This record gives sequence, C-alpha cells and structure tokens, in this order.
Amino acid sequence: MKKIHIIALLVIAVAFGVILASLSNNSSYASFKEATDHPRNTYHVVGKLDRAKAFEYDPHVNANLFTFYLVDKDGTERKVLLGKPKPDDFEKSDQIVVIGKATGNDEFVAADVLMKCPSKYTADSIPGQKQSSL
Amino acid sequence: MNEVTYIGEQIGWQYAGNSFVFLSFVAALLASFSFYRSANDNELADGPWKKLGRIAFTIHSFAVIGIMTTMFCMIFKHLYQYHYVWEYSNDAMPRRYTLACFWGGQEGSFLLWTFWNVVIGNVLMRTAKNWEPPVMTTISLVQVFLASMLLGFHVSGLTIGSNPFILLRETPGFLNAPLFNTPDYASKLAKTAQGLNPLLQNYWMTIHPPTLFLGFASTVVPFAYAIAGLWKKKYGEWQLDALPWTFFGIMILGTGILMGGAWAYESLSFGGFWAWDPVENASLIPWLTFVGAGHVMIVYKARKNSAMSTFIFPIITFVLVLYSTFLTRSGILGNTSVHAFTDLGMSGQLLIYLLFFIVLAIALIIINWKKIPRDVAEEELWSREFWMFLGSLVLLMACVQIVVTTSIPVTSKLAGYLHDKLPFMKDAFEKLSKQAPPIDRIGFYNKWQIPFAILVLLILSFGLFFKFKNTDMKQLWKQIMLPFIVSVVLCSISVLLLKETNGFYIALLFMGWFAVCANFYYWMKNKKAVFLKAGASFAHVGFGLIMMGALISTSKKQIISVNTSRKSVRSIDESFSDATNIRMDQGDTLRMGDYYVTYAGKQKVGKNILYAIEYLSKDVDTKKYSLQFTLHPIIQLNPQMGNVAEPSTKHFYDKDIYTHITYADPNSLKEENPGQQYTLARNNTLGIDDKMYSSRDTITLIGLDSHIDLKKYNLKDGDIAVGAILSITDSSHAAYKAEPIYVISGNQVEAIDDTVVKAGLKFSFTKIDPQNHKVDISIAEAKQVARDYIVMEAMIFPYINVLWLGCLIMILGTTLAIRQRIIKSREALKKENAGNETQA
Repeated sequence: MKKIHIIALLVIAVAFGVILASLSNNSSYASFKEATDHPRNTYHVVGKLDRAKAFEYDPHVNANLFTFYLVDKDGTERKVLLGKPKPDDFEKSDQIVVIGKATGNDEFVAADVLMKCPSKYTADSIPGQKQSSL
Repeated sequence: MNEVTYIGEQIGWQYAGNSFVFLSFVAALLASFSFYRSANDNELADGPWKKLGRIAFTIHSFAVIGIMTTMFCMIFKHLYQYHYVWEYSNDAMPRRYTLACFWGGQEGSFLLWTFWNVVIGNVLMRTAKNWEPPVMTTISLVQVFLASMLLGFHVSGLTIGSNPFILLRETPGFLNAPLFNTPDYASKLAKTAQGLNPLLQNYWMTIHPPTLFLGFASTVVPFAYAIAGLWKKKYGEWQLDALPWTFFGIMILGTGILMGGAWAYESLSFGGFWAWDPVENASLIPWLTFVGAGHVMIVYKARKNSAMSTFIFPIITFVLVLYSTFLTRSGILGNTSVHAFTDLGMSGQLLIYLLFFIVLAIALIIINWKKIPRDVAEEELWSREFWMFLGSLVLLMACVQIVVTTSIPVTSKLAGYLHDKLPFMKDAFEKLSKQAPPIDRIGFYNKWQIPFAILVLLILSFGLFFKFKNTDMKQLWKQIMLPFIVSVVLCSISVLLLKETNGFYIALLFMGWFAVCANFYYWMKNKKAVFLKAGASFAHVGFGLIMMGALISTSKKQIISVNTSRKSVRSIDESFSDATNIRMDQGDTLRMGDYYVTYAGKQKVGKNILYAIEYLSKDVDTKKYSLQFTLHPIIQLNPQMGNVAEPSTKHFYDKDIYTHITYADPNSLKEENPGQQYTLARNNTLGIDDKMYSSRDTITLIGLDSHIDLKKYNLKDGDIAVGAILSITDSSHAAYKAEPIYVISGNQVEAIDDTVVKAGLKFSFTKIDPQNHKVDISIAEAKQVARDYIVMEAMIFPYINVLWLGCLIMILGTTLAIRQRIIKSREALKKENAGNETQA
C-alpha cells in the first residue's frame, strides 16, 4: 500500500470521527416539558416572552440575575432565571432561545439567552412594525 | 386603488439604477458567452469572440460602477423615498458613514463583491494572456449570478434578486401605509428614516467589509484557473499563473478576518476577539482551504508531481465562499447567530448558485479523472512536498469540523424535511432535526481546534527545513536542534510564569514557540536574513504568534469584576457565576484585581453617553488612592434600534484591561441632567461642635468663619458675612466640607447656600443667635437619594499584543511571499519565451 492510500484512509477516518463527534454533542432543542422530564440535561428551548408578567432585574439585589416568563412552542410557561444582566432591548425581542436546565420547582435556569430582535442586528424586520413607524 | 400624484419624488434615480442593473446582467451574460466561444474555438490572439467578450465585460464594468454611483448619490442626497436609503441612513448620521451605509445591507454588500470581481476581471483581461478566454468565462459567469442578485424579479414564487432601487412605497410591508396617500410624502420621511445600525457606525465598518469581500472575490481566480485547466485539458500549466493571486487572496482574506476580530474586540461586546460565531466561522472556513490551496500549488510548481490536489483545494475554497454566503444570507442561522442577515427571500436563488458551481466542478473533475497527471513514483516520507500536502490536509480537516458544527441549523432543517418525507430511519432523522448548536460554543470549538492547531504548528515548524524530493534527516535534526532547545527553554519559562497546567495548552504553547523559533532560525540561517526572502518564514512566525497570543489571552483571561453584593447567584445554580457583572453606584470604589475602581460619573456627547470609570491604586502605607487611568465605555443611544454598548480598553504592553457596561440605570438614560430637586429644608439649631444628621450623613459644626472674601460672592464692601464651617461624614467615612454663609447687607439678611453634590445635600445658614452662641442651619436633601448606577464587567486579557503582533507579521510575510511569487512567475515566463525563441 502506498503512503498516499494510508493517508487517504486516515483522513477519511478522522473526517468521519470529526463529523460524528461534532454532531453528537448532547445539545438539542426541546420543550419545557421534555426539559422537566430530564432535569440533568441542558436544552435549548425556543419560546415567546409572556409580556403580561413582569421581568425582574434589580442590580441592587444582584447584578447577575434576571428573571422573566417564557411560553414555549407547546404553550407551557416557565419562570426563567438567567444568570446575566438584563440584555438591552429585551422587551423588543420577538423570539427567544434559552439555554439551560429545568429545576424541580417548575423553573428553568438559563446560562445564556439568544434573542431574535426584529430590528437590532438585521436589515429586515417585521413589516408591520416598521410600517407603523412611518 | 386610489391614484395619488406624488410630489417631490425623484424617480430618475430608479430608472438610471435599474437600467444599470439590467445592463450589467446582460453584459455579463454576453461576456461569458463570448469568452466561452473564444475559448472553445481556441481562437488566436485577437479573435472576434475574445474582442466581443472584452467589450461586453468592459460594458459590464461600467454598468456596475454606474449602479454604485447611483446608489451612492441616493444615499448622499438623502432620498428617503428609496427603501434602501430609508433603511440604512438618516440625517443624523455623519457623512463619513455614507460608504458604510452603502454596504450596510445585503444588496450593497453583494454589489461590493461584484465590484471587486470587476476589478479582478479587468486585471486578468490585461495579464492572463492565453488563459484569458477560459478564465474570463468563469468570472463572467460568476458576474451573471452576482448581477442577478440585484434584479428583483418575482417568477412563480422564486425571488430573483433584491433590487436596491425600489421605492419605499413599493416595498412589501409598506404598501398600505397611510402616509402614501399624501402626495408630498417624500419630504416627510427624514424623521422616520432608520439609519445604519449603531453597531455598524464605526470606522471598522468602512474598512472591514471591503477587505473581506476583496478576499472572498479573489478566491474566484484560482477557481477559474482550475476550471479552465480542466476544460482546456491543460492540467499543469495554470498553477504558476494562479499562485500570486492565491497568496494575494490568502493575505487579503486573512487581513479581513483579523480586522473582524479586532473590530469585535475593540468595539463590540463579545468579550473577546473571536467568539466562534457562525458568521465569523463562515469567513474563516474558506481561508483554511485557501491556505491549503496555496501550499499544494507550490508543491506542484516545484515538483510537477500530482496535480489532483491543485484542482480540489481551489474548488473547495470557492464552493465554501458560496456556502458561507448561503449560510449568512439565507436566514438559516436565524436562531444561532446574533449578526446573520435575515432572509430576503433569496435562499432558493443562493442554493441554485451553490449547486450550479458544485455540479460544474464535480462534473469536470469526473470527466478528466483519468487524465489529471498523477505521480508515478511515490513521494519520499522526508520530503517537503509530503509534509506540505499533509499540512494542507490538516487544515482541511480543521475546516471540516468547523463546517459541520456551524452547519447544524442546516442539517437539522434537512433532517426534519427527510423525516417528513422518508418512511425509514424516522428516529435518526428526528433526533438530528432537534440538534442544537453546542451549549458552550467557545469551549467546544477550542477543544476541537487545539489539536489541529498543534499539528499544523508542528508541520510548519519543520516544514521549511525539509527539502523537495528528499532530505538528509541527520542534517535536518542538526539544524533544528538549536531552535528546539530554545523553544523548550522559552516554553518552560512561560508555563511557569503563567502557571499553566492544562496539557493541551502547554503543548500548543510549546508548538507556538517552536514555530516562531524554527522559522526565524531558518530565515537567519538559510535565507541569510535577507528581508525580501522572509515571506514563508515570517508568515509562519506570525501564525505561531497568533496561536500563542490567542491561547494565552483566552485561557488566562481574568474577570475582575467580582460580584460582592449580598445575594450570590451561585446559590441558585452552579453554572452561574458571580464573577462577571458588578453593580457600581456613582462614587463607589470597589476593589477589582489589583485596582480600585470608581464609577466617577457620566457625560453625554452627541448620541453617546460616556461613562468615566476610574482605575485607582492604593498606596499601602498612606492608604491614599491615586488615579492610574480612566476608561470611557460608551452607551450609544438609538431610539430606533435600541441602545448599544461599546467597551473601552486600556492597552498595556503585556495586558489589556477591558471594561464594558452591561446594564445602565434606565432612568438616568432618559433624563438629560434634570435640575436637582431637593426636599423641604429642615432647620437645626447648633452650637460649635454640635452634630446634626441627614438621612445618611453626620454633619458637625466646626466653627464660624468671619474672614469671607466679599468679592468672591459679589458682596458690597460694607456687608457683614459669616460662614459656618461644616464637616460631613457619610457611612463609608468619606468626608466633605461645606460653608454656607450668612450675610447682613444694610437692613437685609441674606443666605448664600452651599451645595455638596456628591453627598446630595444643600445647606443654608439662616440665623445667628449671639446671646446663646447658637446658629440655625437648614439641610435639604437631594430628592433622588438613589444614586445613579451601572452594571459593568471588567476583565484582563494578558499578552493579547502577541496576537496582534502575530497578525502584522503574518500579513507582512504573506505580502513578501506574493512579491516572490510574482517575480518567479515572471522569470518562468521569460525562460519560456527564451525557450520558444531558441526553438524558433
């Protein structure tokens, strides 16, 4: 066997390994219910903000704690505790992804949050919203 | 629909712009067809098709410049009736950002790419000689696709392009706005114009996109040469011509990526220079294979062995550029990246382009598979070509890992689709379709990429010491011994200084040192330290420094803003950290790392609020603070798009101190320094040394002062003035002085108040009772007792300058390499000409 063949085999093996390992990182999207069923796993939960309930952020108590209520795609609502300051323009965000774990008492502890702000980083926006600014 | 005759609309720009767009598309189409015919017919030097192709491409070039000029004028003239202008600019924005507005949107950035391709095409038409027709065919074809991005047609559900010359009232989503029933609506848009995203109002925005897009555009050259080589079945002649372009592209794209990192570090709030964000990754992946392409092409040029990889690498690179474009612009990254573009409805079109070039390239390779020259004899293990090839493969593997992980939103979407359509493997597809990006993204990528980095550094440390064909290994070990020993020593010292314990990090640190030492030694010894021959060595030294700087500044990053408030978040969850953000009231001094930090106050400058964060040091003996430096992180107020925080960094030679406002008191942002309101004054009757109290402070009457400078208070000569000397002490034992004054001017009694802003107190000296030796002093307290506060984050990045130094050296090295490549390809041309002459 030529060296080039050995290398080719190695490369293919490494590539497969890399692909499989990259894909088998244990993170997946889930609902609050699934997250509650598996309290040890960390999940991404996609949801919308419950604007009827107040967010809480009081830097005088703790600068690293922000709480809000999120309704996931199945309609389940959870109180989310985020270990960070309240992000800028949190109110304006349309869709929110929280990354973290469920706790026993129907809370969700998020280490990070991703917001899809309709207008912040992107060129486009929800048409109606911009139109109303005219 | 009721028809309104609009007043003040300047429609002419739309006609001009659309004509240029259409012309650029048609001319590119004609150019690619003409060059195709010219190449296919193997025309001689000045055939009619080639001439036509050149004319068409020149027309295309002018049309593209026409589009850009039109758009630029529209932005410059603030014609807000055009959607693009309304969306990306406004009156408030400084003129220097006009260019930034231009490429702020998708259409403008596609145009920037198109423009660079025009420049490259024009250079190639003058320099590519025999390769001109086939190479220009591909480039013109790419231009056809790019030009169609601006067409803005809608054909049976598929959007072909997004037109930048569309009027606001024609834009979907704005069609029924009541404003458009007013004939002179055009003059009323300035108020609502959106303006460029405040994140992008930055000088980086004027230099980063053009550089990055020139880098992206340059990948088309080796790709077009490779396609031309396959098509014309001239497999081994194009590499020499494409090499200078390849290294030019590597240098420019690399610079563009690093500029992005510097931008993120300096003025975005990522908290670092590289966050493995999908959009960042999208720019990095083609660069990795581009570097691979450059190296396999050098191998082929030197050895004329196997040409296969010189086709594969440039093709992969160009396809990855298209794929990156698809990733960042189709909206598919939506939930995973903070700064991807949203969908303009062009994802279908982008996908078609991507597939077109993939299919074209694969088909050409398959057709030519048997004929592409391959090495008959096996390469020697200890030859430079073998190790360069291996290094390129490692880069490719590193790239595969990044592509696979970044593509998770794509694969999960695809799996979801297959899950619905296919009857088998339901479970596997369902699992894949729920796949989310890694939770600790930065940690995940670092873990994977560090081994690749170690391998690459290992190969590029030895690389230059190998000789083509075969190397005397005894000689090599002898040569490499000195740099090896020096690296061991340097690495040991740095491990001890940094107290590094992680095995992988130590390995990477050693390889970094080794790459720097070995390549520098090679340049000193083998290239006799001739500056112009430093290309490869310097590029490798720079890369080694970049890796070391990245490793140290990231792994030894120290957050010094540790939360000291009563409630700890760690009690809520272990994943939470108290050592990140900290609240500081105005005037507070808190210890952070080796410093004492004070939030001194803020100041509004234009649309920015500058916060003054003072870093003090405390003298051990005298316990006195002295100011070391002041940082000014910014919050940019933008009512339309939301406020944006910009960090501020103090640079030292061996570390950076980075300070960033993560949250600011919303009340203090709204009011612009309101007139201070005070509570009703409370009267106190005091003797000397008596005390009185405010809600927070203790105030002592020290004594009376009859030597008042009358002029200072604009008093007349005959006036009698007495001051009450007060000493104020607050709970944190800060002391202030105040001296309200009691004045008798003729028959009038007057009080001159004294306000102590920092303590929020106002004193008034209202009465003197000489019989009882008492005075009356009234206190009013500032109504806003709660002080202004910020939540901030402060961290130290040690030795980050090693990274920036590495960037500069790598860019310098690559530039020298380009120069060397151009000289060599000219020499080869001369030799060839000389050869032809002697033959004749």
